[in-house]
Amino acid sequence: MNYVFHIFTIISLYVILGLSLNLTVGYGGMLSLCHAAFYGMGAYASALLMVNAGWPFLPSFAIAVIVVGMLAYLISIPSVRFHGDFFVLATLGFQIIIFSILYNWVTVTKGPYGIADIPRPRLWGLSIASTPAFFVLSLVVTLGVWGLTRRLVKSPYGRTLEAVRDDELAALALGKDVIHFKRSAFCIAGSLAAAAGVLFASYARSIDPTSFTLDESVFILCVVIIGGAGNMKGPIIGAVILVSLPELLRLVPMPDAVAANMRQGIYGLLLVLLMRFRPQGIAGKYASD
Amino acid sequence: MEIDSLNKRFGGVVALDDVTLDFPAGVVTAIIGPNGAGKTTLFNVIAGFLKPDSGSVALLPDSDTDGSGRRFDIIGLPPNLIALRGVGVLFQDIRIFKRLSGLENVAVGAKNQPGEKPLNCLFQPARVMAREKEVIEKARQYLDYVGLADKAHLWAEQLSYGQQKLVAIARLLAGDAKVLLLDEPTSGVDPDMVGKLLALIQRLADTDGRAVIIIEHNLNVVKRVGDWVYLMAGGCIEVFGKPEEVLRDSTLREMFPTL
Repeated sequence: MNYVFHIFTIISLYVILGLSLNLTVGYGGMLSLCHAAFYGMGAYASALLMVNAGWPFLPSFAIAVIVVGMLAYLISIPSVRFHGDFFVLATLGFQIIIFSILYNWVTVTKGPYGIADIPRPRLWGLSIASTPAFFVLSLVVTLGVWGLTRRLVKSPYGRTLEAVRDDELAALALGKDVIHFKRSAFCIAGSLAAAAGVLFASYARSIDPTSFTLDESVFILCVVIIGGAGNMKGPIIGAVILVSLPELLRLVPMPDAVAANMRQGIYGLLLVLLMRFRPQGIAGKYASD
Repeated sequence: MEIDSLNKRFGGVVALDDVTLDFPAGVVTAIIGPNGAGKTTLFNVIAGFLKPDSGSVALLPDSDTDGSGRRFDIIGLPPNLIALRGVGVLFQDIRIFKRLSGLENVAVGAKNQPGEKPLNCLFQPARVMAREKEVIEKARQYLDYVGLADKAHLWAEQLSYGQQKLVAIARLLAGDAKVLLLDEPTSGVDPDMVGKLLALIQRLADTDGRAVIIIEHNLNVVKRVGDWVYLMAGGCIEVFGKPEEVLRDSTLREMFPTL
């Protein structure tokens, strides 16, 4: 049973990551490749506060989200001035920079060894140690993130953000401060990814930089695009499919020697087929460009 | 709106050569000229996409929205601030927000939306909702005004080219544009829709008292709605007058021999 709750918890983390990246990619039209960097910074910030400073869970959570939001704002200042492919490359650059800081700043992050013995959260005297209990916590945070992003995308803010995505010049000519919209979307997305990072750190109980590589950023992007970008249901469907599909493939009987490779192959093939027949994503209204 | 001795060069090419124009409120002013006459450069300078080398573009009290009654120089301002001052531009290729509905397109045009700030959405929902109700109500009225009330919820992408132009005009009205700068409003539009568009343009100037500027290739359009016409060539204003006078002018006859 714990296995099922484990999968549910992982899905809920990717729902948070997908919903937040969807603000940047789906609603803001900015294809970002540094989402795992924000996820990782959130995980490290809270882990350091809890392990080194002995802070409790909630204050660590709050500080991690705020600090990463501020860092995302700083990163957005140069990034959002780029368009299209150049924006992708700029975020790729930041992904690499932040990964190497996590990997090489040994005195603080312990480099490749990572940080171990991160405590499970205690909230109001209640220890959230078991897997089902953690899933409940993670679900509560996910619902919070869902409510918050939904409020934003259904508001005039979300509408104008979509207008900026569709035609930046036209939005500018209607008096919109285009940079403000792109920057704030990027910043909010970053701080929400940090929330997923905090949960991940105290769930996994030890973290190291390899969880926050470019591969991870690409995976989160897949969650958004396969589910359907620019849509509130999309990232949820994407997270469920991408996390559970490899697990389900375990149920398909295969010769042991090639099982792992074949699963990878089938997984890849399914993604290609999905994009061939549903380019707008499963829940999406339109293909992302 | 008043434009005074604008100059703009691109390298050795003179795009605008001491251009002085006047766009009074309540009047449709047409700018015609062959390709390369500097019409688009003029459009981009007024909208703020290009900085001129010298000269001024100023809003006069009757077209300035802040009601201070003073001349307001808009040269050097970024396009979004020029738009907030009441200058609305219709791009030749429309630039509709294609994945928003017609109604949403118009609502985006509205100014003073507290809901455009994420913090307001989270912490002042009542204030955001109150203004949003007004914005949507107004957006409906403007869609109705341009005759698209029944298409409000269609995606802009699904509308015909001419209907998209109407939505784009409604979008400018939602932003309370007092000066409307329309770049080839009838290009690419079917003949049926041309009549509708021209009637609307006429109404914007005559009934609403806005300053309407159209940049046109099509002399028939100019004949039908232009109150005043400037003929541009080689970056200069060649002829100015009533449409009948300008259309009789020999310079124009040389440029448009098929007339």
